[in-house]
Amino acid sequence: MNSPYQHQGSGQKIQKQLLTDWYRHLEQAPERGEKVAYLFISGNIGELLQACGFHLVYPEVNALQCGIKKVAGPNILAAEDIGYSGDVCGYVKNDIGLMLSGNRMPHGTTLPKPDLLVCNYAGCATYLRWFEALAEFYGAEMVVIDVPYLRGTEGPTAEEVRYVERQLRELVAVCERVAGREFDPAAYRQAIDRTVRSEDLWVQILESARHRPSPIDAYFEAVFFMAPIYTMRGTQGCLDYYQAVAKEVEERIQAGMGPVAEEKVRIVMEGPPAWPHFRKFWEMFKKWGAVTVASTYSKVGGIWDLGFRHDPDRPFESMAEYMLGCYTNRNWAMRSQLIRGYLEDYGADALVIHSVKSCRSFSVGQADLREQFIREFEVPTLFIESDLADPRYFAEAQMKNRIDAFFEALEHRRLTAGV
Amino acid sequence: MYGAGIDVGSTQTKCVVLDGNGEIVGRGLRMTGADVVKASEQVLEQACAEAGIETHEIVYTIGTGYGRFRVATGDDQVTEISCHAKGAVHLFPGTRTILDIGGQDTKAIKTNARGEVVDFCMNDKCAAGTGRFLAAAAEVMGLDVSEIGPVALKSTEELKITNVCTVFVESEILNQLSRGRKREDILAGVHRSIAGRSASLLRRVGVEEELTFTGGVARNPGMVAAVERRMKMKVNASEDSQFMGALGAALFALERAMAGVRRKEQEVQG
Repeated sequence: MNSPYQHQGSGQKIQKQLLTDWYRHLEQAPERGEKVAYLFISGNIGELLQACGFHLVYPEVNALQCGIKKVAGPNILAAEDIGYSGDVCGYVKNDIGLMLSGNRMPHGTTLPKPDLLVCNYAGCATYLRWFEALAEFYGAEMVVIDVPYLRGTEGPTAEEVRYVERQLRELVAVCERVAGREFDPAAYRQAIDRTVRSEDLWVQILESARHRPSPIDAYFEAVFFMAPIYTMRGTQGCLDYYQAVAKEVEERIQAGMGPVAEEKVRIVMEGPPAWPHFRKFWEMFKKWGAVTVASTYSKVGGIWDLGFRHDPDRPFESMAEYMLGCYTNRNWAMRSQLIRGYLEDYGADALVIHSVKSCRSFSVGQADLREQFIREFEVPTLFIESDLADPRYFAEAQMKNRIDAFFEALEHRRLTAGV
Repeated sequence: MYGAGIDVGSTQTKCVVLDGNGEIVGRGLRMTGADVVKASEQVLEQACAEAGIETHEIVYTIGTGYGRFRVATGDDQVTEISCHAKGAVHLFPGTRTILDIGGQDTKAIKTNARGEVVDFCMNDKCAAGTGRFLAAAAEVMGLDVSEIGPVALKSTEELKITNVCTVFVESEILNQLSRGRKREDILAGVHRSIAGRSASLLRRVGVEEELTFTGGVARNPGMVAAVERRMKMKVNASEDSQFMGALGAALFALERAMAGVRRKEQEVQG
């Protein structure tokens, strides 16, 4: 049967193709004599490293892919076998395990070794230790960009921006030495130009969730939609991708389609997903007609819906601003303010906090956040826990019980409201 | 008209049958065991026998507890969190906060006057501070779990049990015994330790009077006393505390059955 829709499923299809091509190209980099840099997602500097001639590897993306393909468990055990404690972040242990097993990804490609490790976000001490371990294992050079944690509520100061910008300029010299070629400022500027256009489209896609019903799930779908803007931002493929997704979303709005048959509850999600049990996790919400209209994890790499854009006329300075403003670099007052804004702007009924054991940058403070939203703002808030990589921390019966009890109560209170 | 609630818990399966006036007319109780379906059928038969009715006279059945989806005769499922709130407010209408200590989990629930859940918190992936913790302590002492509460109440010098782990508490108790400590003092310490963990869960939802203690552990007088002492407030506890989830489920069943009857009457009239 022919679908009456032209664009449905294109976001998912193109994303899959983009990532497949990306990994193939990456795998062949050493054969072509091209250099490889490893970096982190939050506030990443992909455009800059690409303009220095590097191919990019994001160990976090590899970890989440291993999680969703259900091989993170064995990788984590392999890391524990050589001495990593049960308390160490599941993403780190997945990466160590992956390395020990020859860096073969579940979809078949082999990851090249790093020539340079760029710790572009230092707010998480685990990140530092992670790349220190990789530097040791691979014998690769490591650079740390010190990104000051935001203390106030007004965003970064001019000094903080200058401090990070200076480090980026110093990094260029290191990159040139390791890559053995000169930095290409024109290519960098062109990439930033494409980045800005991708960012505009990405914001448009995220904000489509203001519609009722929401055409997208701003968590369970957005975490897939976000992949290109976090891994290959600045490329033409990335820009084309968001044009395609924007069409898909527009078509859904016209048809009144959404991620569930009938939208009953609109929620805001805080925290990363349970990648190793992703489908099951989503089903627990779908069952109640719950649709995420805004989430913080879809902003884990960068926040654009508050107005920030990269600037091709100030490529270093705006990159520094971007790095400073990333989600986990914001203090709790800012995070709480952001979430509260989402609840209001997107007409959400409740907040769901998924706290993960692995990521302290995300989780520390979430119990207080829950209390603040319940007591101070009187927003129904659900707190659930598992992990983003380690399948052992997902207690299905308990998780389901909490989610069911929460939506049951929400539904019941609505039915009896005004009685 | 009769409504039934079947609560398939991790340790025990409970059933309550209510008549059309919301009065408890039958109860059923057994260990859950490996066959959840069988357990739920047997408790229903038990409760019906006590009520002097046939199982087919039950108009609506709600399953609750971890095994709620396996209740063969269930028309619908409701989580035990909602059911405990419903049951507790039915028995003690002034209830606004509930502490439910079951075999494997502890919950703090905040409710409104209609028995609707406003907020809840639970222990995590660890049986510390649950009924299992008490059972482990009883086992080391060579006592039945029903005996430890009264023994603990005899204590004159409550010991501090520092371990919160259900597994490691056994070695701590053995250590205390080998040092010649009295078992009532050790058990009083065990009860205090659970009350302490419960208190922090309760604080997370915010304690508002009245506090009702539900779940199997609420039948232990030592535990009721320990919670009262810790919370510095009177605690409601009932002989039926372990049936609270089943009672709440039966109340939901009765409500739904009545809504169905009303709907049918309207259809006939319309």
